[in-house]
Amino acid sequence: MRSALRVFDLSLGQMLWSRRSVLLGLLVGAPVVLAAAVRLYAEAGPLPVINTSRLNGPTLFGIVIWLLFVRFIVPVLGVFYGTALIADEVDDKTITYLFTRPVRRASILLGKYLAYLACVVLLVLPSVVVVYFLVVPIGGRIGESFPSLAADLGMLAIGLAAYGAVFAFVGARIKRPLIAGLVFAFGWESTVLLIPGYLKRLSVAYYLQSLVPHAMPQDSTISVLMQAFQDQPPVWVSLIYLFVIVGLSLWLAGMTIESREYVLEQ
Amino acid sequence: MTVRTRYFVIVSLLVIIVGLGTGLVAYYVGFPTNAFFNRTGPEELRLLPSSASVIAFAEVREVMASDLRQRFRKAVAAGAQENGQREFQNLTGINIETDIERVIACFDATTSGSKGMGEGVVLARGTFDNVKIEALMREHGARVDDYKGKRLIIGDRFTPPFEGNDNNGGNDTTQVPQFTPPQNSQDFSLAFLEPGLIALGSRTLVQHAIDLQVGGGASAATNDEIVSHIRAMEGGNLWAVGRMDVLRARAKLPDIVANQLPPITWFSIRGRIDGGLQALLSAEARDDESANNLRDVVRGFLALAKLQISSKPEFQRFVQSLELSGTGRTVALSLDVPSQVFDALGAIAAQPPKPQ
Repeated sequence: MRSALRVFDLSLGQMLWSRRSVLLGLLVGAPVVLAAAVRLYAEAGPLPVINTSRLNGPTLFGIVIWLLFVRFIVPVLGVFYGTALIADEVDDKTITYLFTRPVRRASILLGKYLAYLACVVLLVLPSVVVVYFLVVPIGGRIGESFPSLAADLGMLAIGLAAYGAVFAFVGARIKRPLIAGLVFAFGWESTVLLIPGYLKRLSVAYYLQSLVPHAMPQDSTISVLMQAFQDQPPVWVSLIYLFVIVGLSLWLAGMTIESREYVLEQ
Repeated sequence: MTVRTRYFVIVSLLVIIVGLGTGLVAYYVGFPTNAFFNRTGPEELRLLPSSASVIAFAEVREVMASDLRQRFRKAVAAGAQENGQREFQNLTGINIETDIERVIACFDATTSGSKGMGEGVVLARGTFDNVKIEALMREHGARVDDYKGKRLIIGDRFTPPFEGNDNNGGNDTTQVPQFTPPQNSQDFSLAFLEPGLIALGSRTLVQHAIDLQVGGGASAATNDEIVSHIRAMEGGNLWAVGRMDVLRARAKLPDIVANQLPPITWFSIRGRIDGGLQALLSAEARDDESANNLRDVVRGFLALAKLQISSKPEFQRFVQSLELSGTGRTVALSLDVPSQVFDALGAIAAQPPKPQ
């Protein structure tokens, strides 16, 4: 564990101040800019009417959580950072330096995973908090919506942990993990949620979406279909499954990295 | 960990902790999120008399921009509102739609008034061109006075060119509304209390607002009963609270009529206008028995309305939304009027009258 913490300490700075952080900054900054724009718009006049109901802050916050964070930012961060934990070291041909240290290979992965988690959680959650305080006071009350904010923060942290663990395994196992990760996050996950039956249980989104405290926005035909076929598991079941996904994925990733020979391209 | 990484972690954690802490405090304490609605109601309450019988509030800009108001204007009262607004603007230079942000109005039945019926004052907050307003009102016969360092524009009765005033039903634009010369203390007055806040109404109450602003003292904001009723109005963009017992006493109704009225002490109406109208009408009866009787009466009316409306599907959602509630001395009726109801009303209004 001590070696994992040393790797964590080293990797956190590397992750935060890397070029990839520009993507992270844009992803978490966009909702804040959007929320600030909405707030300025709302200062000049009321928000527009949709389906004979006037849009208000808490509803808009729910839409932002669903469409931007749950469906896009969390999977994208999981894919880009999770798959890069080991793959970047392989591509940069620096993994040899890590593997020659007198520490278990699995602890290197664990340290990097913890650094990923700290990095994304410390960027995504403040962004959500700022969006909340910008948007919710528009026709809503901060106190009334607070339980949903707390639930959102917990849900997003668990989502980032689950996607990160799954893609850490993908990154450790597959040679070109980014494409596989994108296909899984935006192909497999979206598709299985539309298919009736048990297949959706083989996705992270199925469990994560049941933790979202806001109603799913019916912004497209796909959303309407998703809602129609959604048989949401109870929150406690989802939590157990998500923790199992994190544990199992990290264990598999650890096993993979312990046994696999990484051949560096010349 | 480098210094900048450490700073980043600290700042991120601070944002999360402060955000969660503020939310938690707001959740338990009821932290006000509305700049002008604090725990004791709108800040302008401190300028209204503590003896106010009715206090009403409207978020004018929000209501004016609401989808419901646009539909209502098209469907039910197309020309009438514009005429009234134009006349008011001609007289005072104030455009209700664009200049006024919110208003709080008060009616005090305990003051004498011109006919012994009480007096009223309206405090309007918004963007006002003081010079233009003063010039226009002077042009229409008002005079300017100074009261405790505030400019007080005084006219007498406002005589708009309404129907019957020989101006072609208000359509003759060559005729402008006029103030007739001041005669007594019940004159119509307007005062600029502070930048963006004007008081208009009876001279006595406008002067009283200036007194309260300059010297403080007992106001509606210090009247616990009023404040406790107003506190329950938070969330509405249109509301009114009032003392029914005082109004009834001042109305000097014949005994036979007065005895038939339910013994209500306080009433309140909280409305939210946006795509539709959601409202909560509450009444506080004198005792539990009176409240039970009132509930029975309302229940009967609701049953009758539901029976009558079965053949009119466009009004069914409205009638079904009527919900009676309340315990003890309180009787409450909530309603939700969807915009479709106003469309239906518009359609009815547009129908040609049936031949006799």
